[in-house]
Amino acid sequence: MPPLTYLEAIRQGIWEEMERDPTVFCLGEDIGIYGGAFKVTDGFIDRFGPERVIDTPIAESAIVGAAFGASLTGMRPVAEFQFMDFIGCAFNQIVNMVAKAHYRWGAPAPLVIRGPSGGNVHGGPFHSQNPEMWFVHAPGLKVVCPASAYDAKGLIKAAIRDNNPVIFFEHKYLYRRIKEEVPAEDYIVPLGKARIAREGRDLSIITYAAMVHVALEAAEILAKEGIDLEIVDLRTVSPLDREAIAQTVRKTNKVILLHEDVRTGGLAGEIAAIINEEAFDDLDGPIVRITAQDSPVPFSPPQEEYFLPKVSDVVREAHKLKAY
Amino acid sequence: MAKKKKTHPKAAMRAGSNGRGQRPPASPAGKATPAQRTYTILDYRLEKLSFALRQVRAGDEVRYEVTGDLSAPVPPIRESKYLSKQQYIEIYRWMLLNRKMETALENLYKQGKVVGGVYFGLGQEACSCASAYALRKEDWLGPMIRNQGSLLVRGFSARDIMMQYMAKAGSPTKGRDASSHFGDIEKRNVVAPISTLGDLIPVLAGVALGARLQGRNIAVMTYIGDGGQSTGVTYEGLNFAAVQDLGLVLFVENNLWGYSTPADMQFRVKDLAERAIAYGIPGVIVDGTDACQVYDAAYEACERARRGQGPTLIEAKMMRMKGHAIHDAAEYVPRPLFEYWKKRDCIARFENYLVNVKKWFSAEENRKLIEDVDRELEADRDFAVASPMPVPESAAGGVYCEAGCHEIKPKYGMPRARAGTAAGLKRTDAAVHLK
Repeated sequence: MPPLTYLEAIRQGIWEEMERDPTVFCLGEDIGIYGGAFKVTDGFIDRFGPERVIDTPIAESAIVGAAFGASLTGMRPVAEFQFMDFIGCAFNQIVNMVAKAHYRWGAPAPLVIRGPSGGNVHGGPFHSQNPEMWFVHAPGLKVVCPASAYDAKGLIKAAIRDNNPVIFFEHKYLYRRIKEEVPAEDYIVPLGKARIAREGRDLSIITYAAMVHVALEAAEILAKEGIDLEIVDLRTVSPLDREAIAQTVRKTNKVILLHEDVRTGGLAGEIAAIINEEAFDDLDGPIVRITAQDSPVPFSPPQEEYFLPKVSDVVREAHKLKAY
Repeated sequence: MAKKKKTHPKAAMRAGSNGRGQRPPASPAGKATPAQRTYTILDYRLEKLSFALRQVRAGDEVRYEVTGDLSAPVPPIRESKYLSKQQYIEIYRWMLLNRKMETALENLYKQGKVVGGVYFGLGQEACSCASAYALRKEDWLGPMIRNQGSLLVRGFSARDIMMQYMAKAGSPTKGRDASSHFGDIEKRNVVAPISTLGDLIPVLAGVALGARLQGRNIAVMTYIGDGGQSTGVTYEGLNFAAVQDLGLVLFVENNLWGYSTPADMQFRVKDLAERAIAYGIPGVIVDGTDACQVYDAAYEACERARRGQGPTLIEAKMMRMKGHAIHDAAEYVPRPLFEYWKKRDCIARFENYLVNVKKWFSAEENRKLIEDVDRELEADRDFAVASPMPVPESAAGGVYCEAGCHEIKPKYGMPRARAGTAAGLKRTDAAVHLK
């Protein structure tokens, strides 16, 4: 098979799950004949019919509420958000209705809420955000942020098969920029398990989503200088793979935490706390954070470039940390 | 465009309470023109309310004042088009159980046995019980905080509700949530409410969607108050149900008070049933203190739902006869309103209808039924009081549905999938929103 883009991998994953399981259906804005703003469900309505590929009103709380209600009858809804920035509109449904259901009254909610997030496409403050931490802080949800086409397909299939609500953040910058060989046969990537995106000796970068690729690029530059980076791609940001985090710190003793989300209250703070709890004695230097600045995502390309973490930031911070 | 002063008379708006006065006329001329569309709202009531509530300043205090005719005679019960004698009696028993259970809860609270507050549906028992009574086993219900009667009708016992209030280990949520905040997706088809208002509406719509995907049109019922209907999710949920023709039966319980705020500070329409017009669905008004009207409207809406014809909005008018919760003495409610509604008590009038008007039920039979309800409640109360509190460690776990915890399977049968086509998924290179 020719290499698949990250976007095609997600499309295939959902398509295959709909072929495999008649309880899987999609709902969202403009996902039917139009195929979705990013074409994830392009062609789905012809194959599966308007019953299973439902164009909804522009009403995010209704989309999540309806998905939850359908899940109570044993369906596995996949709800698309046109942009994950709009998930704020459905926040109460997600964190109060859906996330608490199993703990409060024993109702499983096997649904997926998915959509594009992330910047570097000049989308401005409302089409570029990384709102994953709003949900990492809500017990009862699983939160997934794939970085590769292989993982995107395996994780969306695992998310659909999971008996819990999963918030699935697709990075729109990666949709058509990432291409790789993906096996034709059925596979899943388990939720809650990180992967080593690059093995290395000298220092670790723990990251996820589009920043995995920034880290990989920085690693190529640093390798020429003899600095060998290990890169951990978390893949699932809730629940976190604590063991993978601790292991890489035990191995390299120096760690940079990198994410595209803003700094304060970002995942890096939580990972730093886990490192303190699990591997404090293994540290040979300070835990370094590289993140977006604490501001909305600016629109103009030079401003957005300033806002986002860059390869040069990673190279600079790696040099400083290596000196310890 | 010039402002049409006639259609929005600012002076008139300012004249009345809350900075608002009479409603603007429906058209500039005040009468229908040939181009104007008209709509019908079915109204089952035998009495139209004719009083107004306004915020007034009286010296150093601002309070609510009621004006209008509060001396109207109490209307009779409207005979049901559908209920059998036996069903009348069953609904009467549910209403009694509902009220007496809440009295028992009030006593338990006074004895310090309740954790937190108690929420009452006093005056609203007909609305809770007769509406839920119209549901079939395969239908679903999403109660609000005051619909404890609906939960009883759906098959929960008074002891379940009492244990919820006392935070007992044996409560339906095993101590994890309070009051009517529980449900059952296996047997009773009840969705647990959350504290924020209107959120059940899209959820129940989704339940109907799930059932329809499995080949069944069912009725799904939930409630919203005159206060709760102000929320955005109320609109989103009902509109979604309307667009998708989902069998939602939404009872808008207009009990005149959203906590301490009167209904006329929540909305400008005369009747909340008018909202139905804007959703493109049927709207019905019933007297919420008349179990027969409530049942008949619910029955018709459920039948419509099961025919796959979509949602119905039913406004039930009544008054919340206590405060928002047990701590609230409702001193903001003008006393004459309590007197007015007390005369319209849903249980006393229904009892009178059965015993004295229809003569289906002798005084002796009635006495036996009341004793039977009292006995049931006493046993449930004793059981609930004696049952243990949860061990602290039971707060842990259960956040996620782990392997072996629940089997997810379609409740009404496996959806029929459209037969596969030879052509699989084609790759797409269509233009996207942002590159």
